[in-house]
Amino acid sequence: MYRKQVRRRRAVLVALIVVSLILLSISFSEADSGPLHSIQRGLSAVLSPLEEGASRALKPARDFVNWFDETFDARGDNEALRDEVQQLRAEVADAQSAVGENRQFRKMLKLDPADAALAEYDRVTGRVIGRSPTVWYSEVTVDVGSSSGVAVNDSVVTGDGLVGSISDTTRGSAVVALITDHRSAVSAKLLPDGPDGIVEPEVGDPDDLLLDFIDSNTEVKEDQVLVTAGWSNGRISSAYPYGIEIGRISDATVSGEQTFQQVHVQPFADIRNLDYVQVLTGGPARPGVPG
Amino acid sequence: MIVTWRIGLRIGLVVLAAVVLQVSFFSYLSILGATPDVVGVVIVALGLLGGGVIGAVCGFVTGLLLDSVLLQTLGVSSIVLLTIGYLAGRYREGFEISTSLAPALLAGGLTVLGASIFGAIQLMLGVDTQVSLLVVREILVKGLLAFLLAMPLYPLIRRILRPALVEGAGGSRVLSPGRSLRRVRGRRRGGRLTGAVPARRVRGGTV
Repeated sequence: MYRKQVRRRRAVLVALIVVSLILLSISFSEADSGPLHSIQRGLSAVLSPLEEGASRALKPARDFVNWFDETFDARGDNEALRDEVQQLRAEVADAQSAVGENRQFRKMLKLDPADAALAEYDRVTGRVIGRSPTVWYSEVTVDVGSSSGVAVNDSVVTGDGLVGSISDTTRGSAVVALITDHRSAVSAKLLPDGPDGIVEPEVGDPDDLLLDFIDSNTEVKEDQVLVTAGWSNGRISSAYPYGIEIGRISDATVSGEQTFQQVHVQPFADIRNLDYVQVLTGGPARPGVPG
Repeated sequence: MIVTWRIGLRIGLVVLAAVVLQVSFFSYLSILGATPDVVGVVIVALGLLGGGVIGAVCGFVTGLLLDSVLLQTLGVSSIVLLTIGYLAGRYREGFEISTSLAPALLAGGLTVLGASIFGAIQLMLGVDTQVSLLVVREILVKGLLAFLLAMPLYPLIRRILRPALVEGAGGSRVLSPGRSLRRVRGRRRGGRLTGAVPARRVRGGTV
């Protein structure tokens, strides 16, 4: 009897492991339109109202707990911010005169406003209703989906800057792969006239991004701002339109005989505390970008 | 644990609540750079109360649910959760839970193991970018948070499932000495007894 029980227990365990491995390999290799993904999306659609309700109901409790963490961080940030304010005051004076000149030149050259590239997109605002619990998947679920015009590869922003792009949709919800997700790679341009590179995350550190493919001989300064490059060669293009702010350079080091330097970027958007985001839908066709 | 359809329903609700709370509450919290893993703690508690098979089955189903809700690669969470559920259950079947800290310690340890397995699977599936050493810190802090979460959660889940436990309150062993499985079965018809009996006692011939 005992042996039978042990055999049955082992059989159940082996069966579950085998089924998990089969699901894993099918899910990993299957196309997004495959049957397993469809079932997943169906289940996700069924549960998303529950997620949304729980997310709304638990927001005060969430804010309360995060308040402690943020207060702790804020104490450290306070001094750094004071220095930054002083520096920014000086820069604002210069910038205001530059903006005035810029307006005049644009009128003279009959150019569109600076954010013309983004003006072509419709903005769909969504509330974040779910979040992945591990550092390996940096994803959030939002309560707007294909019924609101949201499609895979649409860019997602907040008022602060780029957040990520849509990786999957159901009718009423969508999954946003954040720029801190290990599958994310954003082609970016250093302002004002710096080189282009690829912004990638460092798994496990959501406050730090890496700017890759910047030549060791190129001068990169701290606090330089990084925006999406939005390139296109007619056949393939970047999934992100030009000009969305990503972050600022926090550190750049050239080590030994490395071809590229190690450039760290601090994202503008507060990736860990997202409540609302905007999805840039529609817009001009981007060759080679599915969605 | 005697699994009737009512108890199955209770377990289902516990699992569903854990998944919903995980994605809409706990995943937003960042404590010392880590996110509390309430799902792992719940699976360890179910394994401890129900034994290896129940722990593994609950872990598998919860993993599927979690991966589906988050539209992640199906099967990864299932492997991790069924492993920790099964190990928790095997611990319950083989060892005495002598102190009230034991479930919390086990939850902490198994969460660290689960997070490590999850990371290893992700690395095997392919990670294109650099991996920070902060991942190790995240795994350890997760274990610590699981230890703290298990202190209130384990008694709560035991309370919810008390009708299913042959000897619910207080006892770390489900059957008291001199009480045979057959007698218990006779009293609770329609239920199925799994994973609750210490192996040596069953071998001793009470069944």
